[in-house]
Amino acid sequence: MSPASFAIRTERLTKRYGHTTALDGLDLEVEHGEVFGYLGPNGAGKSTTIALLLALIRPTSGRAWIFDQDVWDDAPAVHRRVAYVPSEADLWPSLTGAEALAFLASVHGSVDLAYRDELIERFDLAPDKKIRAYSHGNRQKVLLIAAFASRADLLLLDEPTTGLDPLMEQVFRSCVRQAKARGQTVFLSSHILSEVEAVCDRVAMLRAGRIIETGRLDVLRGLAALHVHATLEGPPPDLRGLDGISNLVVDGTSLECDVTGSMETLLRALTEVGVVHLTTREPSLEELFVSHYGDAR
Amino acid sequence: MRAELAVAHRAFRQLWLTATVWAVVFGATVAASAVTYVSSFPDLASRQQIAASTGQDAGVSMLLGPISAIDTVGGYTVYKCYVFLTTIGAIWGLLAATRLLRGEEDTGRWQLVLAGGTRASRATLATLAALAGAVAIVFAGTVGGTLLAARNPDVGFATGDALVYGLSIATAPAVFIALGALTSQLGRSRRVATGLGMTVFGIAFVVRMLADSGTATHWMLWLTPFGWIERMRPFSENDPRPLLVAAAVVAVLAGLAVVLAARRDTGSGVLASRDTAPPRWWGLQSPLGLAARLDWPVLVAWCGGALGAAYAFGIIAKIATGSIPTSFNDVLGKFGLQGSFLRQFLGVSFLFFATLVALVPVSQVGALADEETSGRLVHLLVRPVRRWTLLAGRLALATTAVVVAAVLSGFGAWAGAKTQGVDPGLGSMLGAGLNLIPTALVVLGAGAVVLAVAPRAAAPAVYGIVTWSFLGDLLASLVDGLGWLERLSLFHYLALAPAQGIDAATACVCVAVAAALAGLALTLFSRRDVATG
Repeated sequence: MSPASFAIRTERLTKRYGHTTALDGLDLEVEHGEVFGYLGPNGAGKSTTIALLLALIRPTSGRAWIFDQDVWDDAPAVHRRVAYVPSEADLWPSLTGAEALAFLASVHGSVDLAYRDELIERFDLAPDKKIRAYSHGNRQKVLLIAAFASRADLLLLDEPTTGLDPLMEQVFRSCVRQAKARGQTVFLSSHILSEVEAVCDRVAMLRAGRIIETGRLDVLRGLAALHVHATLEGPPPDLRGLDGISNLVVDGTSLECDVTGSMETLLRALTEVGVVHLTTREPSLEELFVSHYGDAR
Repeated sequence: MRAELAVAHRAFRQLWLTATVWAVVFGATVAASAVTYVSSFPDLASRQQIAASTGQDAGVSMLLGPISAIDTVGGYTVYKCYVFLTTIGAIWGLLAATRLLRGEEDTGRWQLVLAGGTRASRATLATLAALAGAVAIVFAGTVGGTLLAARNPDVGFATGDALVYGLSIATAPAVFIALGALTSQLGRSRRVATGLGMTVFGIAFVVRMLADSGTATHWMLWLTPFGWIERMRPFSENDPRPLLVAAAVVAVLAGLAVVLAARRDTGSGVLASRDTAPPRWWGLQSPLGLAARLDWPVLVAWCGGALGAAYAFGIIAKIATGSIPTSFNDVLGKFGLQGSFLRQFLGVSFLFFATLVALVPVSQVGALADEETSGRLVHLLVRPVRRWTLLAGRLALATTAVVVAAVLSGFGAWAGAKTQGVDPGLGSMLGAGLNLIPTALVVLGAGAVVLAVAPRAAAPAVYGIVTWSFLGDLLASLVDGLGWLERLSLFHYLALAPAQGIDAATACVCVAVAAALAGLALTLFSRRDVATG
């Protein structure tokens, strides 16, 4: 069997509910072994994408493949290579954590028992407690442990750290990095930008069912405005109307602005006055996110 | 106060529709019984004849409720409607109370309510007020139906009598709502709360049957809500004392519920339950195994209930070895029964067992629907499991439970009769039990199809089909002019063995229909979108 070309591939994948379009012609390619961030505000279509990839819902049109297998036609075969963590950990309340993990492993068919024991330690889970006695975060840990311990080729994680405290968030990130180091592919749907920034190689930004941007984090940052702060020897020149300059704020001999594209026009104007101090800063993913979503958030 | 009004308003919105449906059913049943009586027995002579022939037969009284003053329209109406209306009212009240007072807590919505400007005790009281409103609707429906019948001059019910009768019927849901409110504080989940309530219901029902078994045990009527309702004797004595007892018990139970709601931790119950447990590995190897592990108490309860009810009816069957009362013969004749009185009696009894056995699929259909709507089913579907196998497993489990419950019904009836020195034949009784399977499987198939299309509607659909079939068959048999109703009842296609010969062809058709429905359900379930929580 030849290696699959992509871990995930979708072609014009669309899902409509009546007149509402939840996902609109999604074309997506996730490569083997990468950690792919899937960003978007609530209702953008992130969970719908994952539900389609897991064949929980049928597409209105378009197709999707995981490891080159059709996600609907070959669902059981696909699921053998996939582990999934939803944002809401609804489990069987009368089972203990250990029993739930045993059951999930039985149904999945693969588990690294030694790694599972290690994860129970790292996530600080009390496995003899009943699910109904767990907090939301602890229930989430059960699903994360089950997913990572399955050593599945593809981890589909839908806002998986909901309810985890910052310490456990760090454990989660290290587990994702370990999975990547083992060659596993991780598809991480999130709106926690620091999380995506910390672990993802590439991201796609989703808005109203459509991808509005895809790429490596550094490339995406390059697409966004650079923030400039300058202190000048005299009153700043009139920069209004110059190409690529926005959000201009002038305070005495200081100014702040965002620059998109070439810096040349700005630098030429400033050097005519005389520059005392100049700093530039790349946008954070959060600023990138806000600049893309604007009022839509 | 504003928060409590909002709580009561929301609870009432969840209740009013079912309460109205039952109010209409109750009113219609009462009116139909009264009007049919005056048309079937138009003069005093015919009424005295039915009263004389029915007499005070203890067996019939245990089966169908109190026989008192049935030479009057009111007495006969009470007699005809008693078991059905009080049973339905009690179960509906119990389920409504545990749904609102424990089910909401299971889902976490109750905690949201308590985070607002109210307290657990006040919110519980507000919910109880909404439940009281629902009982008022049922009361109004019953009184309305009674007064509607009174427009017929031959019926001649007085308004006061109608009100007392309405109160007697409303007593059942009122008491069991208060009981459900209390068990909702005791148990840690709705399942436990309902289980506790149903246990009390079962005991109360059996105590009423024992109380009606003879004059020596009549005092036991004071021990059960069904006894209080019986002792009120609407239309004849209108005794208010049992109503006062019922009101006091409702007040105590509801008061306890309010007090306990204030004292216990939200999310837990008064009865202790362990938060930790050593692992038990059985049933964790497959989805079907887990379903069996989680649901066996419910399935055993259904099977045990079928065995217990059949055993009780078997014991009563002794009365059928004597001479047959004319009125009862008429009733049985309307079911199209033949043979000895014993066989006819057992045939009607098996209609009750058929209802019980046909309700067995509710637990499995409802459990799978709950798995889906709660988001737990997703954990199975994202693993290498073919979707149809999950439904097929549940159907297999339900079919097994139906078969066991049906066989136990036959065995129980035989064993109960045997204790009284009556031997209806083990083979014959087991055959009558097995005869219940095809119709129950049709119910299961229909429930599965609804599940495959709209999971939230699945369990109500099964309840609806069975209730409709039971009431339809019963009303068509008891009320002249409603013969067409029985064709819409599943139980019309069930031979009431041993009084009727088992119709192999009809049974085979039923099994084939059930199989076709199951196949359709599996196909639909495999293709539709799944609720993802």
